[in-house]
Amino acid sequence: MTSEQISTLFSLMLEYTIPTLKIFGYTLLYSIPLGMVVALLKMCKFKPISWLTNIYILIMRGTPLLLQLIVAQYSVPYILKSDICPDFLRSLLEGVDIRSESYIFNMMLFAFILNYAAYFAEIFRGGIESIPKGQYEAAGALGFGKVQTFFRIILPQVAERVLPASSNEVITLIKDTSLASAIPYMEIMYIAKKQVPTYASLLPLFMAGLFYFAFASLLTVLLSLVEKSFSHSWKRGMKKFARGIFRRGNA
Amino acid sequence: MKTSILKRMIAGFSAAAMLMAGAGCGSNNTPAQTTAAPAGTTAQAASDDSLQKILDAKKLVLGLDASFPPMGFTDEANEIVGFDIDVAQEVCNRLGIELVKQPINWDTKEEDLNLGKIDCIWNGMSINPARAEAMNLSEPYMKNEMIFVVPGNSEAKSIDDLKGKTVGVQTGSTAQEILEAADIYSSITVTPLEDNITLLNQMELGFSDAVFLDSVVANYIITENNKDYVVLPGNLEAEEYAIGFRKNDQTLRDKVQETLSAMKADGKLGEISTKWFGSDVTTVK
Repeated sequence: MTSEQISTLFSLMLEYTIPTLKIFGYTLLYSIPLGMVVALLKMCKFKPISWLTNIYILIMRGTPLLLQLIVAQYSVPYILKSDICPDFLRSLLEGVDIRSESYIFNMMLFAFILNYAAYFAEIFRGGIESIPKGQYEAAGALGFGKVQTFFRIILPQVAERVLPASSNEVITLIKDTSLASAIPYMEIMYIAKKQVPTYASLLPLFMAGLFYFAFASLLTVLLSLVEKSFSHSWKRGMKKFARGIFRRGNA
Repeated sequence: MKTSILKRMIAGFSAAAMLMAGAGCGSNNTPAQTTAAPAGTTAQAASDDSLQKILDAKKLVLGLDASFPPMGFTDEANEIVGFDIDVAQEVCNRLGIELVKQPINWDTKEEDLNLGKIDCIWNGMSINPARAEAMNLSEPYMKNEMIFVVPGNSEAKSIDDLKGKTVGVQTGSTAQEILEAADIYSSITVTPLEDNITLLNQMELGFSDAVFLDSVVANYIITENNKDYVVLPGNLEAEEYAIGFRKNDQTLRDKVQETLSAMKADGKLGEISTKWFGSDVTTVK
């Protein structure tokens, strides 16, 4: 390929980093809070809720994301066709235009979010359960309420502990966005695949690899900075907090 | 039988997933609500108003894989172009409607068609019994041969020389079916891959000794990219390209067929064919 062709290809791919980053951003934005909720539901004392959550996590982690993306795309027309579809759901879904771009994007995002929330939930649960029971008792003895204990004492420690594992998921996610090309949704990988026959060359795929590598490298640096700043600021905060309790105790 | 179980499973699984989402978090993400034609109804229309629907909507949604030069592929500017696209555009112009080019996943093309995501599959699609069963096919509009391509410096001079060699073929293609049914199949090693171009690249790098593919694609790639490939003399089986419509969409299929015949008669089809293949290779009557 000539350098002119390479620069045309590069600018085309640069243009389609936006859809890739859109999938990445929206998935993180929704799956992290959802993962938190799922983690709490899984630890719920009321067993049926805990079981249901377990089944959800089992399905999401037990089937390939690629398959989930495809199932999500075809879910609406198939639910409409099935006999067991209740009327309220039918009337809701009949307004959906399965040809529209927003349908393709939203259903894809739906699958990404549900999948990643399951992984985040397990990371968060591990983090919460790693805090010794003694801390809850100690906090209780110092006069902290349950909510206050969770948000002011447990959560900051959990956040620090789950950061490395979550960073892993975040970096995996930027590469998993490439699965969207199978739907197909136009992002970097889709463009790369379709440009291969155009130039009769594998260079577009190689170039896509460079884009993902650049994103992952950037994320690695950013996440390690977050990790550092998090542990420092939390320790500073705890010192201040402890001093506060100490002064109040003296007064 | 197999498909009905699969359909139930997909419906059940997605319903379960949706319930889960409802139970777990409320809704983060509401499906798109737009006002265009309701989904699903097109596939089940009792009387055949398929043509009227297209004319009312003023657009024909053409589903394609967009990586099949020169029939339908993506150019440097990410525009979908090709012989099929030019012909479909002319058909739409004559019907006074807009052509919408919708890239699809080739593996799920029948589903996309039946569920109404697209109105037709028009992408150098070879006729085979399974496709004739699943779709309402147009008359064949072009002949295609399945041929072996080898690197310019290959020792193989005929199909027989390929015995004991490794041959690449596109997965899910009619080329694969034909190769598997051929006599030579037992004496070669087959490496299936997703697309023909990757196969040709792999052949260049020495992963395989030959590639079995559509002559239309091979000839286009060799001339367009100045590749040092040789087409071995002889072919395994000639096959034909057709346009796929939904089983029930008879009026739409007939109208497109009629328009194609008119284009053949007034020379427009020949003109488009000459642009892409150097001569009129179409077989429309």
